Amino acid sequence: MGNASTWSQVSIFVGGLGTLAIFSFLIKENPFYRFFEHLFIGIAAGLGPMLVIRDFLWPNVLTPMLGANITVYPDGTLSEPYQPLYLLYIAPMLFGCLYYCIYSRRHAWLAKVVIGFTLGASGALAIRGFFGEVLPQITGSFKPLVVMGSGGFMLGESLNNCFFVVTLLLVLNYFFFTFGRDGSAQEKAAPLGRPLLMVCFGAFFGSTVMARLALLVERVQFISDDWLGAVKALLGWGLP
Amino acid sequence: MIFGRRLIYLVMLVAVAVPVLLKWSLPPQRLVSAERMYDVIENVRLEPGEVAIVWFDFGPGTMAENEPQAQVLLEHLFRRHIPVVLLSQYQQAEASLQAIPREVAARLEHEMPGQRWEYGEAWVNGGYRPGGSIFIQALVNAPDVSKFLGRDVGGMPISHFPAFAKIGGIERVKLVGHITGLTGVFDTIIQFFQKGGYRPTLVHGCTSITIPEAYIFLDSGQLKGLLEGIAGAAWYSEILKRHFPASDNTKLLVVNTALSSAHVVLIGLIVLGNLVALREWLRRRHG
Repeated sequence: MGNASTWSQVSIFVGGLGTLAIFSFLIKENPFYRFFEHLFIGIAAGLGPMLVIRDFLWPNVLTPMLGANITVYPDGTLSEPYQPLYLLYIAPMLFGCLYYCIYSRRHAWLAKVVIGFTLGASGALAIRGFFGEVLPQITGSFKPLVVMGSGGFMLGESLNNCFFVVTLLLVLNYFFFTFGRDGSAQEKAAPLGRPLLMVCFGAFFGSTVMARLALLVERVQFISDDWLGAVKALLGWGLP
Repeated sequence: MIFGRRLIYLVMLVAVAVPVLLKWSLPPQRLVSAERMYDVIENVRLEPGEVAIVWFDFGPGTMAENEPQAQVLLEHLFRRHIPVVLLSQYQQAEASLQAIPREVAARLEHEMPGQRWEYGEAWVNGGYRPGGSIFIQALVNAPDVSKFLGRDVGGMPISHFPAFAKIGGIERVKLVGHITGLTGVFDTIIQFFQKGGYRPTLVHGCTSITIPEAYIFLDSGQLKGLLEGIAGAAWYSEILKRHFPASDNTKLLVVNTALSSAHVVLIGLIVLGNLVALREWLRRRHG
């Protein structure tokens, strides 16, 4: 067993141990579970900044800005010319750093400039994003109630579209809260939207259960296929 | 009472473990949304320099469902020799960005000795890109995607690889695949991955939790194909196997069967619980 292989087995072993520790909560709360819970939170918190620096800041920002990607050949020529415009990255970096002024009472107003900028930009993006996402859905909801195909009338498609349009109208009607309770058809139709919404919530709940069970299946498969194999390999069982 | 709760956990564990340990697999259910996705990818026609962008926006939390989806999607793209730029908006996807394409390439090379799927030709790993919507907007508006992406995760200029040297504008990205369990992240792609009259051919792999939301986009035509959790990946792998008989999907079918087994037991428990409740209600009513 080579070094790389050993480390791979050790990482699988630790992974399986973590899985069993977290599942031990199902029996009862215990220190084994708590230790691995804190370990996971710590790793997740530390991993984020490290990956941002390693995979984004260093190769895409700091390397070109510092010219670390440029090789100087023995005759003094450069592999590529240095681009001083990359130094402009410093400006937004310094502007973003003003956020930390929030910790100083005297300079907290500087942080508000950054917050204001962020809120303004986020608001504009949200409006743009809303139209980019919802407009096609509005036009997509305009469906023909009678669908004609190359073979003539398509009953299944037509029923599907009718059900869609009726559901859409009933659910929209359910959320009209500004009309008076005057016994109108609108008011009488409002309760019909509720069972349709309940069907939707049921679908959400069912799919949530399915997702959780998928996680369990994957972990059981990992324990039975990979982890037990790693345990055997580390203990030297079943090896020639 | 506490024992009852643990008994239910045990029953569920047995329901899942039996198919996994016995390697028991049943044929997967046909899913039209996955078939649409297969057809979309099958109909992609590329000019030289054109590519597909695939986002892996998932970590350990949803890997159980998203990883098989990523595998079948990449397998199909690799079989069709469509160059893939891998990106992520989620830092915990790092390991998947590295491992999944290598595993798929190794499997295909084992299946077809003599053929090679190498890094820099079949795929390039652009790594984790922070910034969300701002990054995506900058990407779609960039005059040259290769130059905009700059360097891959290893620090090599993406334009260094011939297959990805001259992608050009975003219009030359012929397919966008997005695998995630994070609805907010997927919404960002839907909202901002567009420019002028350009709308990408977008396919999506979602977790079971987000299926109802993903269907809205499929219904409106914003999505061209969808993999619904494990079931979607299992049916997609079955379609691949029908077209490429050497493709091995045994492991995925076992997972899908274990999931179905758990569902059957769960439905049984729900029915049992309601029957017990009904009996109690009748007993109370009749004194």
